[in-house]
Amino acid sequence: MLKKRLIPKFLLRDGRLVKYVRFFENERAAGNPVTTAKVYNDYGVDELIVLDIVPSAASRGRVVDIIERMSEEIFMPFTVGGGVKTLDDVNMLLRAGADKVSVNSEAVRRPEFLREAARTFGDQCMTVSIDYKKIGPNHASVFIDGGREHVALDPIEWAQRCEDLHCGEVLLGSIDRDGTMSGYDLDLIHKAASVLSVPLIVSGGCGSLQHAIDALEAGASAVAISSMFLFTDHSPIKLRSHLFSRGLDVRASSSSRN
Amino acid sequence: MSGVAIVDYGINNVRSVKNAVEYCGFDPVVTHDADAIADASHVILPGVGAFGDAMSNIRARGIDEMLERHVREKGKPFLAVCLGMQLLANTSEEHADDGVAHRGLGWFDADVLRLMPNDPALKIPHMGWNMVAKERDHPILANIRESNLAFYFVHSFAMRCKDAGDVVGFAQYGQPVTAIIARDNIAATQFHPEKSQDTGIELMSNFLRWNP
Repeated sequence: MLKKRLIPKFLLRDGRLVKYVRFFENERAAGNPVTTAKVYNDYGVDELIVLDIVPSAASRGRVVDIIERMSEEIFMPFTVGGGVKTLDDVNMLLRAGADKVSVNSEAVRRPEFLREAARTFGDQCMTVSIDYKKIGPNHASVFIDGGREHVALDPIEWAQRCEDLHCGEVLLGSIDRDGTMSGYDLDLIHKAASVLSVPLIVSGGCGSLQHAIDALEAGASAVAISSMFLFTDHSPIKLRSHLFSRGLDVRASSSSRN
Repeated sequence: MSGVAIVDYGINNVRSVKNAVEYCGFDPVVTHDADAIADASHVILPGVGAFGDAMSNIRARGIDEMLERHVREKGKPFLAVCLGMQLLANTSEEHADDGVAHRGLGWFDADVLRLMPNDPALKIPHMGWNMVAKERDHPILANIRESNLAFYFVHSFAMRCKDAGDVVGFAQYGQPVTAIIARDNIAATQFHPEKSQDTGIELMSNFLRWNP
């Protein structure tokens, strides 16, 4: 059976690794993405997500360069996104070494783009990234443009619609929990996992080993983790061996692979 | 003879295969040139994309005949990856909406069928890391412990071989999924060794040193 995946999520700003809280607060520099990716590769993570959070023509070139350098020495799947609007954008990132391309705002503005990209490059290449915020006690809503623009879409309904448009997987991120290390949004993860048939990667809130267990047990196929790996002593190796010892179906840790 | 020919049939992502060959210490050339394939010590047929388009490109460039001559007749070591493996089958039902299956190279007596896991909770595509259980040993798996045979898969269709002796290993995904096949100088993997970290690099390195 498929292994549950541990995925470091890299946010890039002008080609540098950065991390915020709730998307905008408390910017922290987190180093060189290629160097950090190599460390995570040695730790045996399952995949990498790289998102350019302030995309521009200039930053696209930097992202392409970073992905090309990563793919020379790191042999695992990469999902790359940020400002992807055209088939040419998708093609450029795939050629640089991305395996999957993540689309967010443009899928909301132009849903047919998602379908067209899936038809051109294959469903498995297209990840839809969905950021959402709670806007009432029992109500969440999708935000695009890096969390700046509110759109009247329910995140789970939107995810289902993206599945109909042939996305290969869904990356679902809670803006409220981003960078807070206060735990994943388990209720929403549980609901999303029970209605989606494509793999669900969840993001936002992981701050402890137990948080990752909770999200995977709520039905996520993969946990995306940023702050915990960057700013605490919980390394991917430690998380993996903890999940493994708790009986979760993850790949054996590199220490037991020798 | 020198170098490793990575067969270029107009698909997107051969960069990671090329990088992996370089990382293993070999000299790859991405090509659809007959002389370059004739000259190579090893041939790799990568694959991402749709079966029908891939076969059209292969036939249009005469790659089917080049491979027939250099791989099947002359016995060059050959590794096909993912869609590349599926192309070795007789037929594929991928996007065969009109009910007519696409014809493959027919090197293996096998058909490519849509994955139909027996558990509705299992998602398609079969995407992610899965274990491969060996049916038999093969040189490309040399020195890899059985507990480490986790590889990265991304596919919605899979090969079903009529001759069980062609299968080296299966993964399980609500059904047996043909993961590695081999006969003579030919080996193929449904998963992506070039995306499977240390174990995948070990497999590729074994292939590049294989002299059947």
